[in-house]
Amino acid sequence: MDRELIVAVGDLTCRYPGAPRDALVGVSLDVRSGEFHALLGPNGSGKTTLLRAALGLVRPARGRAEILGRPASVWSRRDLARVVGVVPQREENLFPQRVHETVLLGRYPHLSLFGGVRAADRAAVERALVACDAVDLADRWLWTLSGGEYQRVRLARALAQEPRLLVLDEPTASLDLRHEMELFELVRALVDRHGLAALMITHHVNLAARFVDQVLILAEGHAVARGAPVDVLTRETAAAVFQWPVVISAFDGRPQMIPLRKKENHP
Amino acid sequence: MRYVLLAAAVLTTLAAALLLGPANVPFGDLLASPIVWQLRLPRAVLAFLVGGALGVSGVGLQALVRNPLADPFLLGLSGGAGLGAVVAIAFHLPGPWALPLAAFVGAVGAMALVYRLGLMSGAELDPRILLLGGVAVGAFAAAITTALVSLAEATELRNAFLWLWGGFSGASWTTVLVILVYAPLPLVVLFAAARPLDLLALGDEPAQYLGADVRRLKRLVYLSASLLTAAAVAVAGVIGFVGLIVPHVCRLLWGRLHRTLFPTAFLAGGVLLAAADTLARTVVAPRELPVGIVTALLGVPLFAFLLRRWTVS
Amino acid sequence: MQRTHLAGFVALTITACARGEHVPVRGGIAVTDDAGRRVTLAAPARRIVSLLPSFTEILFAIGAGDRLVGRTTWCDYPPEALAVPSVGDGMPPSVEAVAARRPDLVVLYRAGPNVTAAAQLERLGIRTVLLDLNLLEQLGPAARRLGVLTGHSRAADSLVHVLDNLASQPAAPSTRSLAFIVWDNPPIVIGAGSYLDRLAALAGARNVFHDVGAPSAQVSIETIAARDPDFVALLSDSAVPPRYAMRPEWRVVRAVRDARFLFLPGQLFGRPGPRAAEAIRELRRRLEAAR
Repeated sequence: MDRELIVAVGDLTCRYPGAPRDALVGVSLDVRSGEFHALLGPNGSGKTTLLRAALGLVRPARGRAEILGRPASVWSRRDLARVVGVVPQREENLFPQRVHETVLLGRYPHLSLFGGVRAADRAAVERALVACDAVDLADRWLWTLSGGEYQRVRLARALAQEPRLLVLDEPTASLDLRHEMELFELVRALVDRHGLAALMITHHVNLAARFVDQVLILAEGHAVARGAPVDVLTRETAAAVFQWPVVISAFDGRPQMIPLRKKENHP
Repeated sequence: MRYVLLAAAVLTTLAAALLLGPANVPFGDLLASPIVWQLRLPRAVLAFLVGGALGVSGVGLQALVRNPLADPFLLGLSGGAGLGAVVAIAFHLPGPWALPLAAFVGAVGAMALVYRLGLMSGAELDPRILLLGGVAVGAFAAAITTALVSLAEATELRNAFLWLWGGFSGASWTTVLVILVYAPLPLVVLFAAARPLDLLALGDEPAQYLGADVRRLKRLVYLSASLLTAAAVAVAGVIGFVGLIVPHVCRLLWGRLHRTLFPTAFLAGGVLLAAADTLARTVVAPRELPVGIVTALLGVPLFAFLLRRWTVS
Repeated sequence: MQRTHLAGFVALTITACARGEHVPVRGGIAVTDDAGRRVTLAAPARRIVSLLPSFTEILFAIGAGDRLVGRTTWCDYPPEALAVPSVGDGMPPSVEAVAARRPDLVVLYRAGPNVTAAAQLERLGIRTVLLDLNLLEQLGPAARRLGVLTGHSRAADSLVHVLDNLASQPAAPSTRSLAFIVWDNPPIVIGAGSYLDRLAALAGARNVFHDVGAPSAQVSIETIAARDPDFVALLSDSAVPPRYAMRPEWRVVRAVRDARFLFLPGQLFGRPGPRAAEAIRELRRRLEAAR
């Protein structure tokens, strides 16, 4: 099956203005439709920077970043928003709003400058809410939602953009076990059933290993390993990247990383 | 229902502005009276347009700085306008348009300065820089103004300050025409930015992911809102509160989507200012109060009332 | 010689007591100024700095002009005043410039910055007197006290007499109406309780804003039009119509439309002064001429 290449990042090097060293050095990544990728690595390893560069928010010093074959810098933000739906790590919420209003914001890239909201837009919102199991939340105020519900709503907003690629930046950071599993299951289902591509930045290495097709591990701006979880997540790689001794054991055919305790505390 | 009330408010306010006044114009003579045509009508129309401009400008700037307490004059524009006005009077600049033009130039100068500050070291019109820069520029302009005042002729400058505190006594059809020619462009630009401004409330980065060209958006909104405010000051002095209160009132009544907020803020701002002007010229007749005082006295209780209703519901 | 002195002294005492001023022993002079201060001089003032054009005029009018050693730049009447060195524009007064003239008396108009300046001059050992001069009624008392302070009481008396009479005259029957417009944007008019309002009343012109208690007030063009004054009076040294005269909104006022302006020279009308009677006559003459 020939899967379409959505994001192609080749040998990307980036540095923020005024920074002492590069944030990314020679990183490559290909994401095709129907693939679920995870971006792993310790804090400050350049994960969010890779995201920004891939989506044209940061200009690379060297290398290329392409969406659907065209350089990211060439895309208008509006057009790009119809291809890539992002659930950012943080956002502000100044004014109270209802869930359906928030999800409708995802349709904005499709709305014409002075035109109104059409039936097709409302249908897309409905579909997005259904896919995220959030239909009964539609009339709730955002500030009444739990953490898990809030993330589902934000995912629905990204889905309302009708993107080819879903990008999630640490979406399970403050979620409990159930909601975290539900979110991973949801993204996996979207990839499998709707042919979306997905790229998730997460700290939860083990869940990523269980759910995703491909993993890219970054450390200090460098790509340390790239490939299927079973190939990439080895004891040496994990210990070097996360700077903590680990053992790898298998579960359900996937590698699971188990950190070891310090010897002096654990006789 | 609320829209009906708004429309009714517009009509009532304009009618009151035409019918009320110190001169006794018999109802039958209304259409023919020069007092109505040359004085009351242009004054009512101008007050409405300026109020609308200030309301819309307030909405835009509050979205831009992501701060619901922002007022168009917070960004140093009133200081700049005041300086321009005082310069025009202190140096006896000739012509009837000297004062408004100088105030306009002063306001635009302040805007440019704050804009420049907001772009320093890649700040990209960061809201905090804009607000702080606005306060700094305003204070700087006020300092120069005070210096000029201390060096110049007392009575003329008292009159300059009376002008600055805001009023529509100089309203004429020429002034109305100037606003009608000037205001549509910034108004259209702001209205076109309505949806991207909804997105901007989420933050710069999330807004970009949802399709907003944030850099261009911020610059356009800042320029348009500031130009509208500068024109308002040039024509009517510094009238505070309208740009602060009207966006809140409209948000309470119609929600926060800018596509609805801009038009309703325009109409509500027009109603508030036209009503305030009518009160300013009838309440202590034959004398007049500065309009800015009346807008504050009207706007604050109104806002408190609406806030109470909203928190209760 | 001694008897003349004694007679003079007794006369001075009696007349001074009649006006409620105190005369200290041994030929000294004292008056109470409008700030409630008791101003005492050992002898009539010889070196005077005047910080208000009206005081300069009064001093010359009572024959004490030769005692002036300092004036403001605005003191331009009588022409002899121009020969006196200027100490600046006096708003607020430059204490250093005034002190440099080594005066023994400084005459100031009683207003905020001047009160501070007076305190500073007193600290330098210079006597100061603060006088009110906003109204017609205040001209007489001002002239009287300046007469006492300069030892020119007799010369001052005749002037005081004229001014007091003028101040107590009732308003002449008014045949014309006017409005004093001193600023156009926003429109500022002169009301009752001001010098100009009084002059108009004595000249037989009714100020249409006489009902406004304040000396000046902001009004709308419509109010002026509604009250329909026969004339618009303004302080101007030329006969050039004001800049607002051509604007359509101002031409709703009949007097503006018909160009019925009264241009009153600032030097004569702009401030209360000893030529008040002349000002009233001049105003009356212009009203007649414009008929």
